[in-house]
Amino acid sequence: MGMDSFPEAIQLRDFWGLIITPLQAEDSAALQDFYRRMPEEDRQFMRDDVISGDWPAYFQRKLGDQGIVSLVAKADNEVVGEATLYRTLHGWTRHVGELRVSVDPGLRKKGLGTALCSSLVKVATDLGIEKIIVHVVDNQGPARRTFEKLGFKKEAVLPHHVMDISGTKRDLLVLANDVDQIWAAMEVMNQDYAPHLT
Amino acid sequence: MTRTELKVGGLTGQGVMLCGALLGRAATVHAGLEACLIQSLGAEARGSACSAQLILADGPIGNPYVQAPDVLVVLSQSAFDLFIPQLKPGGLVLYESELVNPKDRLPQGARAVGVPATRFAEEAGRRLVLNIVMAGFVAGMTRLLPLAAMEKALLASVPRGTEDLNVRALNKGYQFALSNL
Repeated sequence: MGMDSFPEAIQLRDFWGLIITPLQAEDSAALQDFYRRMPEEDRQFMRDDVISGDWPAYFQRKLGDQGIVSLVAKADNEVVGEATLYRTLHGWTRHVGELRVSVDPGLRKKGLGTALCSSLVKVATDLGIEKIIVHVVDNQGPARRTFEKLGFKKEAVLPHHVMDISGTKRDLLVLANDVDQIWAAMEVMNQDYAPHLT
Repeated sequence: MTRTELKVGGLTGQGVMLCGALLGRAATVHAGLEACLIQSLGAEARGSACSAQLILADGPIGNPYVQAPDVLVVLSQSAFDLFIPQLKPGGLVLYESELVNPKDRLPQGARAVGVPATRFAEEAGRRLVLNIVMAGFVAGMTRLLPLAAMEKALLASVPRGTEDLNVRALNKGYQFALSNL
């Protein structure tokens, strides 16, 4: 899925008029408004201090150097969800991306997180990312099930790795999706042993 | 009745058969032509010479064998060296320009046009799709098959999840061909 296939209109259960579109630098203020509407407890699990005054400039810089690729879901020009892929552009993990997703509390359990992740996984594949990882806290059951439906599998558990807002330490699960498997089928076709065209 | 004979040659693993099969599928399913494809494989699993003989015609194909290809498509130097003597006088050679050097072996009257298919495939995202770049290049250079027919055949053939990159690779080869006409 190339960036030219966006904006993509999506329909959720009981909710219409949503589009998924790549985040532009000028959207960072709207994205920060979205984060400010999130419960503080949810923001604890985010990678950066997304409501700090320095965050929009930092995020724009990361967008500019392609260290992140971000899709946002918008309803009436308001950001109601986002999925971001963090990449390392050099070194031995340049084939790996880390995916993070956040959805407006009022739109959860309607399929928006799945739609955002699904689109971003396709974009990542197109960018040459071969493995995508996500971090899920052990009590985030719905998020874990969403990722597992998208093909993610548990690869590691980091015991007592995160501390929630009440000071309770929890295990952090690392789930991974080896998207390179998608291309394994193409490689088989190229083996030249009578490709089976469906 | 018009009959065009093509031979695609390269090494196993380069997707020679898929390249030929795509052209044949586009011709028969999406462009209203007749096609016949014969594969020839080396003994080794990877890296041996292989070729696809493809005949495209606007009527029934009696003889399924390529006698002297009108169009020779080569993805490796060994395939070029092996098949160039078979080229029909005045035929067209389409070659991977970073893997094949026609040197001075091109028969008199023949035309050769190269495409950096491997580089284009890498730029598109995967070296693996060099055969798809080549298929687009063949369609564009020969004008035998419209791009839309090629796209339909490609989308019906490649694994799910690889469509976008494959279509980009096809278009890259096709557009490069148009710039060389």
